[in-house]
Amino acid sequence: MLFYLFATLAILSAAYMVLTRNLLYAGFSLLVTLLSVAGIYVLLYADFVAVTQLMVYVGGVLVLILFGIMLSSRVHDKSVLSESVNKVWGVVVTGFILVGLSYTILNANISALPWLQAAGTDVLGQQKSTVQRVGIKLMTDFVVPFELASLLLLIALIGAAYIATDKPKV
Amino acid sequence: MTSIILLSIFGIINLFVGFMKSKRILLPLSLLFLAVVFGANLFSWNEAQSYFNHMLTIDNYAVAFTGIMVLATLLLLPFSQHYIEEANENLAEFYSLLLFSLVGAIMMVSYENMLMLFIGIEILSIAMYVLAGSDKRRLRSNEAALKYFLMGAFFTGVLLFGIVLIYGATGSFYLTDIAATAAVNDGTVNAMFTLGLLLLVIGISFKISAAPFHFWAPDVYEGTPTLFTSYMSTVVKIAGVAAFYKLMAAAFAASYAAWFPTLIAITVLTLVVGNIGAVVQTNFKRMLAYSSVSHAGYLLMALVAFNERSDASILFYSLSYALATIVAFAVLQYVSEQRNGDETYAAFNGLGKTNPLLAFAMTVAMCSLSGIPLTAGFFGKLFVFTAVVQDARLMWLVVVAVLMAAVGIYYYFKVVIAMYMQPAADAAKIRIGSFASFMLIFITVFTILLGIAPALVSDLL
Repeated sequence: MLFYLFATLAILSAAYMVLTRNLLYAGFSLLVTLLSVAGIYVLLYADFVAVTQLMVYVGGVLVLILFGIMLSSRVHDKSVLSESVNKVWGVVVTGFILVGLSYTILNANISALPWLQAAGTDVLGQQKSTVQRVGIKLMTDFVVPFELASLLLLIALIGAAYIATDKPKV
Repeated sequence: MTSIILLSIFGIINLFVGFMKSKRILLPLSLLFLAVVFGANLFSWNEAQSYFNHMLTIDNYAVAFTGIMVLATLLLLPFSQHYIEEANENLAEFYSLLLFSLVGAIMMVSYENMLMLFIGIEILSIAMYVLAGSDKRRLRSNEAALKYFLMGAFFTGVLLFGIVLIYGATGSFYLTDIAATAAVNDGTVNAMFTLGLLLLVIGISFKISAAPFHFWAPDVYEGTPTLFTSYMSTVVKIAGVAAFYKLMAAAFAASYAAWFPTLIAITVLTLVVGNIGAVVQTNFKRMLAYSSVSHAGYLLMALVAFNERSDASILFYSLSYALATIVAFAVLQYVSEQRNGDETYAAFNGLGKTNPLLAFAMTVAMCSLSGIPLTAGFFGKLFVFTAVVQDARLMWLVVVAVLMAAVGIYYYFKVVIAMYMQPAADAAKIRIGSFASFMLIFITVFTILLGIAPALVSDLL
């Protein structure tokens, strides 16, 4: 029941975000989308993912987007609008993707997948949250991707610093 | 594994060395680092080992491709001399980004887990987005970076979606588990699996600029500073194709029937679009961009053949392609810099008289790219074609490829004609450092050597 509430909210706000021409409204409706997706994560017993979603996307990325929109609009009394171009091709391609994805998901028969049967329904077991297990996994099985992701962040940091610095003095 | 660790540490050391006033030490230092990595990498030969709970496997395949990519970087770095001459403030960052991005490239040829593939592709791509826009004063460079970034981010999403769908269908990120699940289900677990596979193919095709996902390549290649275009069209492409082959061989061999039709369509389209597109270009750099698309097509042919000769022919083709491409971009860089930024064929007019060495290196490179005998490129194409004709049903693909190679000769020799037949409009000699000319001679000799004795590399795998 709760799932359907969150799912409807997510779909409606996402649709509004795409359809509205005002960038600021789109940003705010993205907020609703991300929050309802976080709600769905909680219902799936993925509490760690839900908290991360709240902290990184809602707390960080979205604030950044909103600030970006507010600071980059030069004209005070006019709201920032987004134009759409190539409407025909856009509709054709996205319609194709929509039909393909829906067809696939409806035909996938997900509940019959062997590994899901084996995994069982008791996800949490004795524990109250998944955070501890995620932490242990990150430091044991997934330590290499974890460390290399830090290299990825370092590269992004160098790049951002380089692009943001002033032009070299000649 | 040692090469990944070494490269990460060396990249950070490079950043700190960048604090020093003199930038002269950076180039020798980076070359030394790369040589150390190249040597350390060779120690893993014939000692296949899996690291950290099967996240990475350093086998001969990984060692060979790592070797080629490190070698390519080693060979193209000397042509960054103009950055030193103009005392570029950010040289250390450029070198570090190149070293770091090599880490991503190595991950892409040694991964055992989809997570590693994804992080590897991202490390390589994000470094390239920055390097594409590294010439901040030129509008075209900014445009290239933005275009590359937006397109790349979108197709990263496609790739990730594919990985997630595969995970949904098989319950694992490990290549071996995916292969095991696929094998017991006739190669297709369910519709989700097939769709995921398709999205994966699309995502990686974008990274190696295979048609119809090549549209970003000409603009990005043209706008990016030439040194990094050279890196993009060699190391990035080789890593992409090697990762592609590893993915197909290790995880989706049982699903051959599911991906074969898609991939063969992509291959033919890439060959045709790349070669025909290159014919109509007047800008040499843009022509090289289309030519790199067409070479992605030849590399994909070896992948489509999918037999025991595939990996060795991909390896040899990658090496011969990388050598020739590095020379082509290096000569272009020197010529266009000293002839008012002109990157058209006309800039090469009369180069045969003013700079015989540059013209000769360029001629050998063009012969190698178009597959003329006595150069490495000839054997590269020969090995790929023999791998494909193992399967008699694919004979038509070889016919298409040979026709396209003939088209290739036309546009590659345009520049040779310009160099030797056209009178020089601007008779000034192109200045080139002695170390850079030594490297040019070295690569040219290496290309010809491989054209005479291909067994040096072709029997490695």
